[in-house]
Amino acid sequence: MSETLDEANEARQRIDELVSRARGLEVRDYALAGVVVLLLIIGVFVSDRFLTLSNMETVLKQASVVGVISMGMTFVIVTAGIDLSVGAMLAAASVAGGTLAEALSGIDGLAFIVGAIAFGILLGAVNATAITFGRVVPFIATLAMFLAARGIALWMSDQQPISVARMDAVRWFGNGDLLGIPVPILVFLLVTIAAWVLLNRTAYGRYVVAVGGNREAARISGIRVNRIVFSVYVLSGLCTGIAAVLLSGRLASASPVAGNLLELDAIAAVVIGGTSLAGGKGTIVGTTLGVLTFALIFNLLNLLNLPVEIQQIVKGAIIVAAVVLQRRDD
Amino acid sequence: MAAPALLEVRELVKEYPGVVALSGVDFDLHAGEVHCLVGQNGAGKSTLIKCVSGAVIPTRGQVFVEGEPVPPGNPLTSIDRGIGTIYQELDLVSDLTVAQNVFLGHERRGRILLDRRAMIEETRRLFERLEHPQIPATAPVSRLRPAAQQIVSIARALSRQVKVLIMDEPSAVLDDHEITALFAVVERLKQEGVGIIYISHRLDEVRRIGDRVTVLKDGATVATGLPADAPASELVAHMVGRPLSEMFPQREPEFGSPMLQVRNLTRTPDVQDVSFEVRTGEILGVAGLVGAGRTELLRAIVGLERIDGGSVHVDGAPLPPGRPDVAVERGVGLAPEERKSQGLLLGWPLVNNVSLADLGRFVRAGFIDRQSERAEAHEQLRVLDTQPDDPSRRAGELSGGNQQKVVLARWLLGHCKVLLLDEPTRGVDVGAKAEIYKVIAELAASGLAVVMVSSELPELVGFCDRILVMSDGRIVAEGGGDELSEADILDYCVNTKLVREAA
Repeated sequence: MSETLDEANEARQRIDELVSRARGLEVRDYALAGVVVLLLIIGVFVSDRFLTLSNMETVLKQASVVGVISMGMTFVIVTAGIDLSVGAMLAAASVAGGTLAEALSGIDGLAFIVGAIAFGILLGAVNATAITFGRVVPFIATLAMFLAARGIALWMSDQQPISVARMDAVRWFGNGDLLGIPVPILVFLLVTIAAWVLLNRTAYGRYVVAVGGNREAARISGIRVNRIVFSVYVLSGLCTGIAAVLLSGRLASASPVAGNLLELDAIAAVVIGGTSLAGGKGTIVGTTLGVLTFALIFNLLNLLNLPVEIQQIVKGAIIVAAVVLQRRDD
Repeated sequence: MAAPALLEVRELVKEYPGVVALSGVDFDLHAGEVHCLVGQNGAGKSTLIKCVSGAVIPTRGQVFVEGEPVPPGNPLTSIDRGIGTIYQELDLVSDLTVAQNVFLGHERRGRILLDRRAMIEETRRLFERLEHPQIPATAPVSRLRPAAQQIVSIARALSRQVKVLIMDEPSAVLDDHEITALFAVVERLKQEGVGIIYISHRLDEVRRIGDRVTVLKDGATVATGLPADAPASELVAHMVGRPLSEMFPQREPEFGSPMLQVRNLTRTPDVQDVSFEVRTGEILGVAGLVGAGRTELLRAIVGLERIDGGSVHVDGAPLPPGRPDVAVERGVGLAPEERKSQGLLLGWPLVNNVSLADLGRFVRAGFIDRQSERAEAHEQLRVLDTQPDDPSRRAGELSGGNQQKVVLARWLLGHCKVLLLDEPTRGVDVGAKAEIYKVIAELAASGLAVVMVSSELPELVGFCDRILVMSDGRIVAEGGGDELSEADILDYCVNTKLVREAA
C-alpha cells in the first residue's frame, strides 16, 4: 500500500521536474521553427528550383545583412528600447568605409572594413549618449539618427555610390567562400552564436534582460543601468557596421541610399521571434527564425514571380499573426 | 422613527484574493455633520470610501443614501446620488484650467460648442461660496499650490450638487495656515447641510473639526460614533488594539561594532538631517506615517536618490553618493516596499532573481557557471524555507511572503552586511509574517545590521531592538523597544508639531 503510494509520489515528482524543465524552454521558438519548416515544405511544392543548394545559399546570403542587424536589435529591444536608425547607419557606415578606403589608396579593402565598422560604432555611441546622458527616449533619439545618418551618407558620398569592386577584402566578405561556405553566411552564423552566448551565458546578457525587465530592481541589485543601456546601442551600431561590409561587398558598391526600411525588417524579425517590445524577454533563436521566415517568404514569392506589393501584404499579415499568437501564450 | 441617515453603510465586506480588506463595517452620517474616520495604515479606510464612492465593488453589504440603496460599483451613479470624493492624491488634470477641471465630465454645453463663459462664471461663484475668490478660474491647475488645488477639488464636487463629501486625508499636503482655511470651508459646507466624511491620521484635527469619530482596525469598526472629544488615549487604544507578541521570535541580541553610520543625511524635502548608527546584530525599527520620509531615507542610504548633504559609512568606510552599485558591492542590501515593481523580475525564474545582485561570483572565464548558480540559489531558498523552493519556478507565481523571502535570499547569497527592509511584512498573511520575523532575527543573529521601516506598531515595539520615529523627514524620537510604547510612537507620529514646539 505505502509502496504504491511512494511510487505514485515519485512519479509525480518526476512529472513535476519535467514540467519545471519544460517551463525553461521557449515553446514559441519551436512554433516559429514549425513555420520555417512549413515554408520549406510549401517551397518544395511551389518550385523545383526552391530546395537547391544554390537557392538556399541565396536565401541565407540575402538574410545575412538583416540577420546581423537583427542581433544588435534584439539586445536593444530587450532593454525596452528601439533603434530606428540601423538602415540609415548602414548607409552612412558603408559610405564612411568607402570614403576612407578611397582617401588612402582607392583599393584598400581593410581600410573600408575598419572604417565602416568604426563609423557604425561611433553613430551607435551617439545614439547611446543621447539616450543615456541626454535622456531622450530611444524612439526619438534614433529617429533623429535615422534622418541624420542618411544625410551624412548622402553628403559624404556626394549622392553617388562608391565602387568597392576593386576592394578584394570587402568583396570577399560579401561574395567569397570559405571551405565551400559563402562568407556572409558564415559571418551571420558567427554573429548569431556570439549573440546567443552573450545574451544567455554571460553576466552582461543577464543584466541586459534585467534592465529591460525591471529597471528599478536592476538598480537596487547594483547593476549600472546607464552603462547597460549605453552598451546596447553601441552593439547595434557595431552590428550595423558589420552588415554594411556584407552588403557593400555583395553589391560591389557602397551606396548612400542602401538599407532603406531595413530597420523595420529587423524590428519585425525580432518581434515575430518572440522578443517583447516591452523589454525583459529576448530570444536569439527566435530572432534567427524570424529572419529566416521573412527571407524564405521573400524567396518563395520571387520564385512565383509575384510582385513586391504582395510581399508587403504577406509580411504585414505575418507580423500581426505572430504577435497575436504570442499574446495568447501570455 | 427618525428620518433615515443621510448616508448609511451596512455590513460592508470587501475581500481580495487572500486578503480581507473590510470585514463587516457599519457607519452612518447625518446631514450637516463631520464624521471622522481614523485608523492605522491598512485598516481599511481607503477601501471603505472606495466602496462608498463606487470605485470598488464590495463583496457584501450595502450603501444607502437617504434610505435608498446605491447600486454598487458605479461611480457615476454614486456621483448622481450626491456622493463627492476628494482623494488623497488629487485627481485633477494639471494641464487643464481650473474651470475645465471643475466641469470635467459634465461640461456645460451651448448649442454646439462648450459654453466656456458659463463654466468660468459658475466656477467663480463656487469659489466665492467657498470664500476663496482669489483662485483664478482660467489658470492651469499646475500653477496652483496644493492647498488651492484642494479647493478646486472641493469646488468640483460642489458643482455636482453634493450631499455627501468624502475627504481622504486632505490635510496631508497642507501647512497650518492652509489647514485653518480648509477647516473654514468644511465648517461652511456643514452649515449648508452637507455631510462630510473626514479621514485623517491626526487626532488633533479630529478634535478640532469632527462631530463624531469611527475607528477602523484590520477592516472592522472597533468603535463607531464616538464623540470627537473622546480622549486621545482612548482613540489610540482602539487604533492599536492588542499586541501580537506571540508572533515574534525570542531573541537574545548581541550587538557588535557600528556597521552602518548615517550622519546628517539630507535630501530635501523628504529627509532632513538624519543621523543614526546600527550595530551588527541589531534590528533598528523606523516608524512614521506615510510621507514621513522613511522610504526616501532608505533609498538615499543606498544611493538610489540624490542627496543634498550628509554621509553614509559602512563598516567604517564612506559610501560614494549616488552609486547603488558600490553600496551593493560593500554589502548594503535593500528589500523595497514595492516588491513586485522594484524588487523582483516576476517573469524570471527564482534562481536568476536570487543571483542578480552577486552574479559576478558565478562567472568563470566570462561565462556564468549555471550549475553552481542554481545550487547556491537553491540553498538560500531552502534555508529561508521558501515555498516552493524550486529555482526554476517563476517569481510571479509565488505568494507575497515567499516573494519577500526571494528578495531576502538575494541578499543572503550576496553576503550582505547591512539589510534595509521597507515594510517587509506588508501584504503578507499572518503566518508568513511570523516566518519573516524569524528569518530577520536569524540574519541579525548571524551578524547583520538590520534597518526595518514599518507602519505596524506592534512589530516595531515587539520585535525591534531600537526604534526611530520619523516625521516630516526628521527623526523626532528614539528609544528602545521597551521604552517606547505603541501609543507613544503614534503620538510622536501624529503630534509631531507639538513635540517639535516643546523641544
